[in-house]
Amino acid sequence: MPLLEVRGLTRFFGGLRAVGNLTFSVEEGEIVGLIGPNGAGKTTVFNLVTGFVRPSSGDVRLGGESIAGKKPHAIARKGIARTFQIVKPFPHLSVKENVTLAAFLRHRARADAEAAALALLERLGLGGRAGKLAVELTLMEQKRLEMARALATGPKVLLLDEPMGGLNPSEVGLASELVESIRRGGVTVVLVEHVMKAIMRISDRVLVLHHGERIAEGAPAEVVKDPAVVQAYFGHGVA
Amino acid sequence: MRGRGALAAGFIALAAAAAVPLVVRNSFALHLCILVFLWATLGEAWNVLGGFAGQVSFGHAALFGLGAYATAILYLRAELAPWWGIPLGGIAAAVVSIPTGLVAFRLRGPYFSLATLAVAELTKLVALNWEWATNGPTGFLITSLPTLHLFGISVDWEAKAPFYLSALAMMGLAMGTAAALSNSRLGSFLLAIRENEDAAEAVGIDTVRAKVLTLALSGFLAGVSGGFYAFYFRYIDPDAVLNLGISMEMVFIAVVGGLGTVLGPLVGAVFLTVVGEEVRERFGAGHLVFYGLFMMLAIRFLPEGIWGRSRKLLARLSAREARHAAPRG
Repeated sequence: MPLLEVRGLTRFFGGLRAVGNLTFSVEEGEIVGLIGPNGAGKTTVFNLVTGFVRPSSGDVRLGGESIAGKKPHAIARKGIARTFQIVKPFPHLSVKENVTLAAFLRHRARADAEAAALALLERLGLGGRAGKLAVELTLMEQKRLEMARALATGPKVLLLDEPMGGLNPSEVGLASELVESIRRGGVTVVLVEHVMKAIMRISDRVLVLHHGERIAEGAPAEVVKDPAVVQAYFGHGVA
Repeated sequence: MRGRGALAAGFIALAAAAAVPLVVRNSFALHLCILVFLWATLGEAWNVLGGFAGQVSFGHAALFGLGAYATAILYLRAELAPWWGIPLGGIAAAVVSIPTGLVAFRLRGPYFSLATLAVAELTKLVALNWEWATNGPTGFLITSLPTLHLFGISVDWEAKAPFYLSALAMMGLAMGTAAALSNSRLGSFLLAIRENEDAAEAVGIDTVRAKVLTLALSGFLAGVSGGFYAFYFRYIDPDAVLNLGISMEMVFIAVVGGLGTVLGPLVGAVFLTVVGEEVRERFGAGHLVFYGLFMMLAIRFLPEGIWGRSRKLLARLSAREARHAAPRG
């Protein structure tokens, strides 16, 4: 049984179909890349899976249990964590407090939550920043803070929305290694990303979305050669 | 350590304040103190929701008025003594705030604030028109208070001291609640909600539940204050206890004192009550102009509030002292 299953997921915004009849599944321990041109519906898929947007129809299952239509906090408790494309830290709280708040989901006592938070910050290379306010961090550090906070909720599946957007090439390399280390830590990863080099390198499987529908799926090297994908990105006459 | 020290300091301050009526016999001075305690309680009630959780309510007069009416009606119609009626007034306000919160908290930011304003105005209209329950615009007059013997002494309700002590206890309860909240998990969740509500949901915080619980707590404190008001002033009507001005005063006190701080509302209440009384005496009808000017200056130059700013300065001073002391070991 796949860990995460999306079946016939559809969402309309007024007359616009942002996601249409989307079906895919993710096995435990995989890194799956979700790519597609701007406006393809990638972030909407994340919002649907994490409960920030209710599906018009279709189902989302985690470990066989339906979670579609549940509130975001309930889905986080079930074991799906996410980061946001535009980072959403708790800006005027310390870096440590940002992660501690998330760790409260699995630890009742403040001391335990703080210890878990500090360990995660250490692991993500933010140990020296624990006492700073989140708003004082650089963009790369804020993206890492988003990851630390998501991991602190103890997820089975982590959804990363453009974790490398806006980073320079060497930062992208570090971020790729980080994603792989998260997987080695036993967390299944689905990521939306525009930095192709990175997504091709780290993904086991890539899913291509266009106008809210899946147009291709498979190993990274095969997907990039798919005529439908090339056409979606570059238009007619190129392939 | 810090928590325990603050707790001890708080108890000592309360005990010292409780001794004041033994020394001070001037009834106007005691009256001013009672007003400060009442407004500090109300500021604290508003602050747990507005300052901690960042949910700005413009309708807290509804909760205050509800407590005042519930307490007065229980006394006048069911002969329930104020020491039972006032807590029940608080509970009534808390109970009503739960379904209201479940609906209003579907809105965020300014839309939530406007909804609270609408609920308060609606409450006032109900109080004006349900004459069978509320006496409408006539309101309620409390002509006599029940006899009470404490430690063999009959309490003199014409004196200020009993009200002074009750108001002080009420404020102690409000500040204790705020301090306990700020040290609790729920208190931490409220800060997360204030900082970014989506991110709070994403890390598993049930934001609606946290906000509704806090509103109920805030409603209880506001309702208790309303009950106290009814017995201290012995007269309530919709204009006296359900006025928009009361809602706004609660906001001002928390903002001027320091949003999201435990001591801020007390500092704000001291300033606004004392400054308010002073300018009222000097300038008569023109006093609101000065009051407004003071508000504008405070918000322009002290956005963190008087206590919020002082706390920062104190922290900086003690950090400097620690640096100077360090070389000596």
